[in-house]
Amino acid sequence: MRGYLLRRLPSALLVLLGASFLIFTILRLVPGDPASSLAGPDADAATVAAIRERLGLDAPLLTQYAHWIGSLVTGDLGPSYAIGGQVSDLIADGLGATAELTVAALLFVIVLGGAFGILGATSRSGWVRSAIRVTTTAALAVPPFVSGVLLVLLFAVVLGALPPGGRVSFLGAPDLAAQYLLLPALCLALPSAAVLGRYLKDGIERALAEDYIRTATAAGVAPRRLLWRHALPNALPPVVTLLGMQTGHLLGGAVLVEAIFAWPGLGQLAEQGLSRRDYPVVQDLLLLLVAVFVVVQLLTDLVYAWLDPRIRWE
Amino acid sequence: MTELYPSPSPSTGLSRRSTLLAGGGSALLLGLGLTGCRSAVSESSSAPEETGGKPRRGGTLNLAVNSDFVPALLFAQSGQSLQQRLIYNTLTRYDDALTPKPELATSWTYAKDGRSITLKLRDDVTFHDGRPFTADDVIFAVKNLQNPVRAAQLRSTAAAVNGFEKRGDHELVLKLAHPVNNLFDLFEFMIITDEKTVEDAVTGKKLIGTGPFKLKKWSPGSGLSLTRNDSYWLPDRPYLDGVELRVIPQADALISSLRSGQSQLSFAVPGKSLGVINSDPKLKITNYDTGAGAIYLGVNTTIAPLNDRTVRQALAWAIDRDRLLAQTLGGYGLASAAPWPKSSPAFSEAHRTHYTHNPGKARELLKSAGHSKLSFPLLHIGLPGETAIAESIQYDLKQIGVTTTLEPTDGATAQKKLISQEMPALWSMGHGFAQVQPSTLAVSAYPFNEAKNTSKYRSATYTKVVQEAWTKPETSAAEANALHEKISGILLDEAFIIDLVVRGQVQVNADRLHGVALNKFSYLNLDDAYLV
Amino acid sequence: MTSTPDLAPASPATLRKPVRAPQKGTLRKTSRHPYRAALSTARARTGLVLVGAVVLAGLLAPLLAGHGPTDQSGLSLAGVGTPGHPLGTDDLGRDLLSRVLYGIRADLGIIAIAVPVGAVLGCLFALAAAAHPVLDTLVQRIFDLILAFPGLILALAVTAILGPGRLPVVLVIALAEIPAFGRLLRGGILVQREREYVTAARVGGSSGPRVLVRHILPNAADPLIVQVAVSLTVAVFIEGAMSFLGVGVRPPEPTLGSVLSQSMPYLAQAPHFAAGPLITVTALVLGLSLIAEALNREVRR
Repeated sequence: MRGYLLRRLPSALLVLLGASFLIFTILRLVPGDPASSLAGPDADAATVAAIRERLGLDAPLLTQYAHWIGSLVTGDLGPSYAIGGQVSDLIADGLGATAELTVAALLFVIVLGGAFGILGATSRSGWVRSAIRVTTTAALAVPPFVSGVLLVLLFAVVLGALPPGGRVSFLGAPDLAAQYLLLPALCLALPSAAVLGRYLKDGIERALAEDYIRTATAAGVAPRRLLWRHALPNALPPVVTLLGMQTGHLLGGAVLVEAIFAWPGLGQLAEQGLSRRDYPVVQDLLLLLVAVFVVVQLLTDLVYAWLDPRIRWE
Repeated sequence: MTELYPSPSPSTGLSRRSTLLAGGGSALLLGLGLTGCRSAVSESSSAPEETGGKPRRGGTLNLAVNSDFVPALLFAQSGQSLQQRLIYNTLTRYDDALTPKPELATSWTYAKDGRSITLKLRDDVTFHDGRPFTADDVIFAVKNLQNPVRAAQLRSTAAAVNGFEKRGDHELVLKLAHPVNNLFDLFEFMIITDEKTVEDAVTGKKLIGTGPFKLKKWSPGSGLSLTRNDSYWLPDRPYLDGVELRVIPQADALISSLRSGQSQLSFAVPGKSLGVINSDPKLKITNYDTGAGAIYLGVNTTIAPLNDRTVRQALAWAIDRDRLLAQTLGGYGLASAAPWPKSSPAFSEAHRTHYTHNPGKARELLKSAGHSKLSFPLLHIGLPGETAIAESIQYDLKQIGVTTTLEPTDGATAQKKLISQEMPALWSMGHGFAQVQPSTLAVSAYPFNEAKNTSKYRSATYTKVVQEAWTKPETSAAEANALHEKISGILLDEAFIIDLVVRGQVQVNADRLHGVALNKFSYLNLDDAYLV
Repeated sequence: MTSTPDLAPASPATLRKPVRAPQKGTLRKTSRHPYRAALSTARARTGLVLVGAVVLAGLLAPLLAGHGPTDQSGLSLAGVGTPGHPLGTDDLGRDLLSRVLYGIRADLGIIAIAVPVGAVLGCLFALAAAAHPVLDTLVQRIFDLILAFPGLILALAVTAILGPGRLPVVLVIALAEIPAFGRLLRGGILVQREREYVTAARVGGSSGPRVLVRHILPNAADPLIVQVAVSLTVAVFIEGAMSFLGVGVRPPEPTLGSVLSQSMPYLAQAPHFAAGPLITVTALVLGLSLIAEALNREVRR
């Protein structure tokens, strides 16, 4: 296994290096620059020049790139240009918020998706089944940027039951924090819950149609027992794989949802950083995302290799 | 309760209990927060008890903003300046008639030649860290703004100060290279910060001032959390225990936070949504005469045939300012051909209506200049509000035969083009700095700068008039008026910046909040604010 | 396996078990039939009708619309049923019916170019990957890179560099589709290559490319057909999300996404503004996913 890892490591590092170069280049290609962005709409040339010098933007590009890689190697990411504070603090805060949102959404996906799937496959009421069908269809057909606004309109504006946006820390006031979390998590979870529900429904239906279940039913085994002991366990494995993939989607989808609900996570940070040309924040953040992706890929491959004996580590 | 279901069909029935269990599970999660002991919606509206309208101590004010505090722009006029007067103080403050009133400076005397001013300072002021405030802090504040890195719009005025003479800890003479008539704009604008921690201030780590509130925490993206400064120099002030600036970027969400009582104050409600607020008896709308900057159509005067003044004037006649105001700003603002808001000494009704919507006249002017059909690019910022404004302008220009291609651009790129003279033939944007001394507009707002501006417009007359208005010491009202008249005349006649609408500065607050004030640079003053 | 983690959710149709080999290890000559069968199900018919109606409305926009899509008037936010404006008007007094109709046209124009470009590029990458192990590693890492970048950030950057217009929208959509198609086809080829019938063909003396084209591709291509339907919906979502960020098609030209994003500030006071584009987008996406689902069921069978 160590051998396998060692063999994979160079290509992972290569991806990171390539990504760092790409990120750096794309950012410099984007017109506008941090100095004139910071200087404000009324600045003169002297102001822009002074800020450029202060930020080290007057150095050659290669030096700037080396400086960035150096900061990554030493682990001291330095201060942000425009947002304020240390880059590492900003990213840590954003990561916490995004993780919180994603985990909450994942819970929703499991509970709602599970309910959709089980009820959709087994409810005797045609009305319930159609309601679930309509809900899952709508959850997939309405773009998330619209469903988010509709949720705000319904729960915050019309009902006034939940806060429309923002975040409260779980450390100080967990009960309030949960209420701030509810709408964004729901908005983020809905499409994935619908996918999960449909997939689970298909799986249960297929399992229930298997011969041995028919036999068991004929022999008088309770349907509930059949569902929980036989059909569900059979339908679950692919659903778990699916859940893993949906987690990736949730992380990505968080960018848009964060913008709608003013959730101060990584997506908001990236968007703000880019719009103010805060090079250090955007560079470090994007590279972090690539790194996470690479690690996840590596882990997935390892698990597959472990599961499939035909793939050899040595 | 367990019921057998006879058919082994794929849609095998479940017992009712299982159905309830599954459904209940999701309901439980949904209700996770709803059934909690507190509601996030009503929690924030808890308030001190009713006191019959008299000021009363206590309570936390929630202020809804649509963008976060930007520490790097602490010393510049930025989109979000509300916190400046909460954490910091300024030397003086203007009243409605632009007469300076004491803040940290108690009195001032101009030298006869206008080349120096003597300031007497309060001697009972301490910074949030306990250090007393002295004349050295004023010297630092001025020098700090002279530093181009701080990007302060009033740097030219600060730079006119070329000497300091301390007379004890609480008296100071500022010597000027030449007289300037907008020194009190500077005193209204310049926040007094702690010198030792200034580098921590521009990164948002430490904000140490002398103001009524201290920084508790800044959470980038979410907002500022401020607590009462118990040793504030105004006795028994502030009334409030704290202020929370909460970032709510989405307009609907911001409005609903006001309507639900979650926040009690905001200056960020878009004009077109104010109708909803108007119908709510618990909310009050206040419209400030200073306006919130102006929307203009900029013209690059080096691109033919826009180098011809007649063509530029035709554009100015083409635009239906009233429709623009009604359709893109909900009617909150002032359709105006000149940059000045109503509170400005340079404001006049004649200038405001110098250009009105007259497509016939516009076409005639174009024809007289020898054109019938023209086409230009029109740059604007690609946000929904700015895009609607550009679309409206585009449509009006099309009616006189001037077709435009819209160039939606992101804010940072647009700003770079603006300050490096790289704008295309036309652009639409906003400018500030018309709400204080009229001379400030021409020396501090880049689009109007006489020496170098985005339109690349230069004329000896403009430079002369602007310099005269800026550096003339202690002019009489009549003299000042004559100069303002000249500046407005040149701006209107030359039409390199075609002003369209002075935006409304609109405050929305809960009716239980009293005593809110804004300074001329939109710094929020909550010294006397209280919740009932 | 959809390629746009942050712009659109995965549709159920993208999630499937590996395509099964033909039952008797022979080339599937009858491969057209399953599609015909799939498209004649009730589900698919509903989908086809929905998509067909939207597409037809878009194509006939010049005939159906009573006004130009960019003609403004003083009549702001007029309601549904206003004389001359069956769907009402928007904030600048433009006719909403014609904005929605022309918006459909613009969307169709974008996705009709972007999705095929993305699909072809993705497939080319997959073929390259199948040709040589070194290329395979390289291609996989390229897919990783595309997938790892947050799509919306990419959209902002690409538009800032290229300037406004259709090109960045098409480019972002195509880029997002590349890994989806690429990974699907690569996976399909790898699975098919191990099948007995392929081994048999190879032993029987067929050349590598011939085996690929005659035997592997036709069988590995099934999921791609489904993916096309899925990608079309993803494309509609991406266009909308980009409009929301202000980096979509150049105004004042309407797209479904831009009309929808313009309507958002008026949701409370003029809900009809959002209704037209919202219903259209929903119908289009719903129709496409019904078709994708029906195809997927048949293909999986």
